[in-house]
Amino acid sequence: MTMSHVGPATKGAAPAPAPRRHIAPRTVDTLVQVSVIVALAAFWEFGARFGALNPFLLPPLSTVLVRLWTDLLSGVVLVDLGLTLYRALSGFLIAALIGIPLGIVMSRSKAVRWFFDPLISVGFPMPKIAFLPIFILWFDIYDTSKIIMVAFSCFFPIVAATYAGTTALDKWPIWSARSFGAREHEILWEVHLPMALPQILTGLQVALPVGMITTVVTEMLMGGRGIGGAMITAGRFADSVGVFAGIVEVIILGFVVVKSLEYLRARLLIWHPETRR
Amino acid sequence: MRAASAQRMEDAATGIAIRNVSHSYGPAGHGVLALDRISLDIGDCEFHCLLGPSGCGKSTLLYLLGGFIPVQSGQIVTPKGVVTGPGPDRSIVFQNFALFPWKTVRDNVLYGLKKAGFAADERARRAQEYIDLVHLTGFEDSYPSQLSGGMQQRAAIARTLAVDPRILLMDEPFGALDAQTRRVMQEELRAIWRRSRKTVVFVTHDVQEAVFLADRISIMSARPGRIEHIIDVDLPKDRGEEILEDSQFIQLSEQIWRLVREQAIAATRGAH
Repeated sequence: MTMSHVGPATKGAAPAPAPRRHIAPRTVDTLVQVSVIVALAAFWEFGARFGALNPFLLPPLSTVLVRLWTDLLSGVVLVDLGLTLYRALSGFLIAALIGIPLGIVMSRSKAVRWFFDPLISVGFPMPKIAFLPIFILWFDIYDTSKIIMVAFSCFFPIVAATYAGTTALDKWPIWSARSFGAREHEILWEVHLPMALPQILTGLQVALPVGMITTVVTEMLMGGRGIGGAMITAGRFADSVGVFAGIVEVIILGFVVVKSLEYLRARLLIWHPETRR
Repeated sequence: MRAASAQRMEDAATGIAIRNVSHSYGPAGHGVLALDRISLDIGDCEFHCLLGPSGCGKSTLLYLLGGFIPVQSGQIVTPKGVVTGPGPDRSIVFQNFALFPWKTVRDNVLYGLKKAGFAADERARRAQEYIDLVHLTGFEDSYPSQLSGGMQQRAAIARTLAVDPRILLMDEPFGALDAQTRRVMQEELRAIWRRSRKTVVFVTHDVQEAVFLADRISIMSARPGRIEHIIDVDLPKDRGEEILEDSQFIQLSEQIWRLVREQAIAATRGAH
């Protein structure tokens, strides 16, 4: 009974001086970064509101946010966000499901490497979006061609990172596993994959923003629903508020998705020195 | 259980026989000869040190014993038969620990036990026993990257000892440790070996370490590696720090040091 009093009291007293010393640098860091964004937003808002900037070319932030809010209440934003997210993540997952196994097989089989290495060397730097007209011809003008376009552009960074990650692995953990009697297929799962995981995750982290960009660009080029399509429609109707609402949506969506993958990385690589910096 | 110990008794009848083993690196025909017709018998439960200048192929010989690199010519026979690949009867501690960095200390130790086929509760018991043995109690859930080099090496030693191999191979396992930790680990290893009855093949270039640990020492020549001398270490079986001041220990160390020095000088002058 009395303990419950002591608990919060000491908790309140003890940590007070400690965080000031330990967490301070990071908090200051975050504060500075947030204040830069706030300053930019304020400059946008007041610049547009007091006529320094043309309010048609750059409508005030508050107007954009009000539009976002009404669209959110009517559900329009959720449909567009959901569609864009669905296309981006489906394409990304398909690319991962093909790219990661292919990268592993390439690092283990000469024949597969000989076949795919030149294709990937050519495909990696190529602007993948150039294939969009062909995908539209081959597939449809709806989700399929968009998702395939996204998967196609995400595939290259994923397969290249996985191949690099699973080639030239440190031989010592592999030798240890062998000396404990592990079989080669067990070593693939138990040693090769965890050892290559940091690089595979890096490949996924490169591919994800590429997938988001590709999704929005295909939506813009092909029209219809989705954030990109909605922005193009708004642009055609000279609805600059609608266009900026789309930009804010894309910013938020991209931020959330990329941060989620960063969080996943930190969870998966809890053992890695990078996680404890 | 009885059958297993009977099997062990039978195995105990033989040690390791290395017969005419040569090894070269690089393209077949014109590679660099690393080992030149090595023949060596290591007795059962013997603590044997391979001592020689760097580049004499002592690690190569150890990897051949472990089965990590294929035997090109000659033959290596252990109680389990001719060596053709790695096996759980010959466990190794590498110079750079080779822990699984994505596993905690406990999971690293459990890995080998699982592969060796121990039951789950026995695995947990043994893992704790060997973690305690190397004084890593309290660090069971730490990842290798959270530990110092000395602690990582102790974890690697626990992982290897836990599976209770008949033959323990060690490749300069204390090379990365500071002098104090090194001394403590040497004493502990010698004590563990005294208790557990294993054959140990220990690679080092440190004369004092070899004399302190070994029953017999093979002194290897500079490349191509040959066994030039085999020295019996006639010191008491139980060795503590006090032995370092023992006149016999000092005399033997100096004698061996001169032999190793000859090889090191020969190495710098080039072959012949």
